[in-house]
Amino acid sequence: MSNGRADDSANDSGADDDGRSVAEWTTFLASCVILATVLALIVVQMRGRQDPAAPAATIAGEARQVGGQFHVAVEVDNSGDRTAQNVQVTAELTHNGTTTSGDQTIDFLAGGESTNLVFVFDENPATGELTVTVSGYAEP
Amino acid sequence: MTQTADASTAVSRPEPAGPWRKEWLDVVRAASGGLLFGVPLLYTMEVWWTGSRSQPPAMALVVVLLLIPVFVLNQTGGFRETPDHRVRDAVADTVEAVALGLVVTTVVLVLLREITTQTPLAAALGKVVYESIPFCLGIGVARLFLHGDRDGDDGDDGDDGAGPGDGRNARDDRGTGDEDDDDDDDTGRSRGTLADLGATSLGAVFIALSIAPTDEVPTLASAMTPAWLLVVVGASLLVSYAIVFVAGFTNQDERHAHRGIFQRPLTETIVSYLLALVMSLLLLWCFQRGFEPWTDVVTRVVVLGLPAAVGGAAGRLAI
Repeated sequence: MSNGRADDSANDSGADDDGRSVAEWTTFLASCVILATVLALIVVQMRGRQDPAAPAATIAGEARQVGGQFHVAVEVDNSGDRTAQNVQVTAELTHNGTTTSGDQTIDFLAGGESTNLVFVFDENPATGELTVTVSGYAEP
Repeated sequence: MTQTADASTAVSRPEPAGPWRKEWLDVVRAASGGLLFGVPLLYTMEVWWTGSRSQPPAMALVVVLLLIPVFVLNQTGGFRETPDHRVRDAVADTVEAVALGLVVTTVVLVLLREITTQTPLAAALGKVVYESIPFCLGIGVARLFLHGDRDGDDGDDGDDGAGPGDGRNARDDRGTGDEDDDDDDDTGRSRGTLADLGATSLGAVFIALSIAPTDEVPTLASAMTPAWLLVVVGASLLVSYAIVFVAGFTNQDERHAHRGIFQRPLTETIVSYLLALVMSLLLLWCFQRGFEPWTDVVTRVVVLGLPAAVGGAAGRLAI
């Protein structure tokens, strides 16, 4: 036992001269494939484009009435390759000359990632003018 | 002859495990060690963010640097039945430990819905790489963590004639005194059961205590669907069973044959998981993590129940 696996494995029917059984070799080869795949994926990412973060907000569908309020779904998509941090999203609804606005912050938005937000207004966005914009973000 | 005496005499020494079964046990032990060490960090959103915003060169560097401590750990601990004294064995086991750590981390992140089909590849890779650090280190010390079992057997005395696992019976015997006295035997088994329940509770609290007050639990819970919650329950039971009944260096046949109030493997696993859920509920209540509506409570308890189940299993191995 004190000599480690070589001695133990020598007694196993599947052990080779190296002291490793076929099962151990199988695990080792599978592990090599997994590790190589992960490293290859990282290298592919490394060699790919690294465009700056480019988060943008769009209205996703019609406003939904809940009680006396209107819920507007907004999709924020980072079409860049780098991550955007503290993405500030602003929605402004102008209705009968009165402007109502709301802000939300997304902590992190990875490159290529999108997330959904919901803004709530007292007035119906369908009868006013609604704009959603990304007002700023940080580059981590 | 009492039931305890039967258990110690009727169970013969098992046939040596074949190479494939031995390898499977080693791999399960490695995964269990990784879970014991790595689960708390999985419930840390800062690590998710770190993974999401990491650049590929940093990820590659982390993977390469990770090989060094895992190699060192494999020479002293590792996840095999015996430590690697040959460098080539340690190198091979290091590759296996890191690869297994990456796989287990990926599975758990998918389970927690931190990686979905919507997650960009770069962000998923980053999360897996950074979250796998404690998993891989845990695999590196799996043998040390899971060397003994709840009998207090250190696993090295397999040739002393007593056999591993006899300590379990010894623990039960402590309360028996006269082997012919059934009442004393029942008392001993009750004490053993109470010790297991206590250890499960303490282990669950030990791991879940640092997670329960955080925002990660409601965050993860909000992404769960009822069907996915059932998958988490199944995975929690599977992990708990694997840590106690597969990964430990114990006489598995004897453990499976042991008779106690809750100590059949399936019963014990289920009872311990339910206890872990109760501990999770108490911790969430203690930290005032919101109890309305009730469906949210169930989801949060199940989400916290995964690390609690891992802690509970570790607790039962520790006593």
